[in-house]
Amino acid sequence: MSETIRISIDGKVVDATPGNSILHTRLEGDTPLTANIGCMGQGVCGSCRCLVRKAGERSAETRLACETTVEDGMQVSFIDYYLPNHVHHYRPHDLRDGWQALPQLQQTFPELAHCRHCSGCDRACPRHIPVQQGMALAASGQLEAAAALFDACIMCNLCTLACPENIRPNHVGLYLRRAQAIQNLRPGDLLRRLEQQARGELAINTRSDTPRSEA
Amino acid sequence: MEKLNQVLLNPAVQVGPNLDAWLQAGGGLGLQVALGARSTIIRQIADADLRGMGGAGFPAWRKWEATANAVGDSKYVVCNGNEDEPGTFKDRTLLSASPHQVVEGALIAALAVRAACVIFYINPHQGQSMQHMQLAVSQWQHSTLLQQLEQALGHPLEIKVVASSGRYIGGEETAVVASLEAGFPFPRKKPPFPAEQGINGQPTLINNVETLANVSHILRHGADWYRALGVGKASGTKLYSLSGDVLRPGLYELPMGTSLQELVFHYGGGMLQGKAFKAVFTGGPSNTLLTARDLDVALDFDSVWLRHSRLGTGAMIVISEGSSIIRKVAEYIDFFAKGSCGQCPSCKCGTFQLARLLDRVDGGRHSHADLDALQHLCQILPGSGRCGLIDGAVTVVKSSMHTFPQEYGLPVSAEPSTATA
Repeated sequence: MSETIRISIDGKVVDATPGNSILHTRLEGDTPLTANIGCMGQGVCGSCRCLVRKAGERSAETRLACETTVEDGMQVSFIDYYLPNHVHHYRPHDLRDGWQALPQLQQTFPELAHCRHCSGCDRACPRHIPVQQGMALAASGQLEAAAALFDACIMCNLCTLACPENIRPNHVGLYLRRAQAIQNLRPGDLLRRLEQQARGELAINTRSDTPRSEA
Repeated sequence: MEKLNQVLLNPAVQVGPNLDAWLQAGGGLGLQVALGARSTIIRQIADADLRGMGGAGFPAWRKWEATANAVGDSKYVVCNGNEDEPGTFKDRTLLSASPHQVVEGALIAALAVRAACVIFYINPHQGQSMQHMQLAVSQWQHSTLLQQLEQALGHPLEIKVVASSGRYIGGEETAVVASLEAGFPFPRKKPPFPAEQGINGQPTLINNVETLANVSHILRHGADWYRALGVGKASGTKLYSLSGDVLRPGLYELPMGTSLQELVFHYGGGMLQGKAFKAVFTGGPSNTLLTARDLDVALDFDSVWLRHSRLGTGAMIVISEGSSIIRKVAEYIDFFAKGSCGQCPSCKCGTFQLARLLDRVDGGRHSHADLDALQHLCQILPGSGRCGLIDGAVTVVKSSMHTFPQEYGLPVSAEPSTATA
């Protein structure tokens, strides 16, 4: 019988298997999962935001439950999705003109200029993205460099929740990645595949019993 | 009503920014006593048991002594007038109605700690406070009393009025230092305390407006006189900002240690519409709630502490039966969530989640799991911020759950205590 440890999740003490993630442990428990669920452990959706306080540590830190391994005495509180009152509206079509990229960014995200450099976004990011640096790069017009920093962003919204100036850094990152994609040529292999598909050369087989290699 | 408004709100000293009128009302005498007995100033403040009136209730003389003993060639005295807590409206009254008693107190402090600069750090949202302090300071700069003070110090004394950020967090003392170093008012880890290393690394004495306003009176009339103003072991007077469901809300200066019953039902005129008293949010409101069982509590720092709460700034937000405690708590937590400076994600995200859960409970849209989650957050959040904001937010949530479990739908214990740590 394998050793078990104990952690508490939103007030419930549960037995956990060392090596498992917090989300896995919650799945094994008897708590019905109705919130903070998305990709179920793939680390791509950012739904399982939580505050984690390890035994003996003074501070609680923001983490993704699917990526955090349980430790004995760990305390976990899940965090709701945060939707700010103000939503940024823009059309991808408007991002085509590279000469207008900076003024358009400033117009869409005027609060970008208000960064107070508290580093809260850096500390909040479970992917360890240097978010504050990304915002500084974006504000100074180094848009490609800023977009590159957000490649690993999974839009968990924790930086937006953490930002006292309501900057919504992950959405700035998404905006820049969209602008970059729109203004760049697509990869050649992708373009060829799309051409083949348009000519009907790539039949899509939806039969589940067909081995993947034959598809 | 001879106990009301004896010192700081005494009509005789409500002279506005008029130095001549202040001197005619007995102003300046405290500074003259201090100039004649410079080495005993801190002893007199200690004997008077003057406390920090900004919320902590910490003995003022300890900060003064620490700053005086610290090594530095350009020490600061800062009068903290950032006042921005819900329900607190005492400092703005002192700064606008009797600014000279505040200035004189700060100058005596500068003499005691041998400061080179005095800064009045004022919330710019209080327009009249700023205006009157600027006028008051400009009058002192041409006064003979200031010349005598500079002679005693042996160097010039710079006096400035500086606008704070006006943010709630800007009143925390390390945030005051950060702000006066021309930065955003981010709280810093302590130690070092400002008395050791404050503005630009120099020893800095930071006192609340009300604390400094008492100083000239103590020097002028003596520590024994000041101690005798309080009730029982408490010393001096206190400004109570009374608001909420009372007939006569307002600012009352009463002997320190006046009972909550007397404040609410005698001076405050009792409850609005004859409703029953339910609870009071004290000084912040980031402290443990006091309830009807606590009406006999003496409103001084030590007595309120014995009830596991805090007197704080002296703000008393009174709630009547029929009002939802959860709704009020949710509003205050929302205030803290918006005021969180951003440095600590546990504070920013934790207050957000507390507010969300409280909102669900208040609207009746919660499950039992939400109540468990709320209690759990109250366990994991304390101590996880650089300053006390998150601790205060948790205290008021935890206290409301403990004191009014029935409103949350929690089991009521057989012998509910009135307050919890």
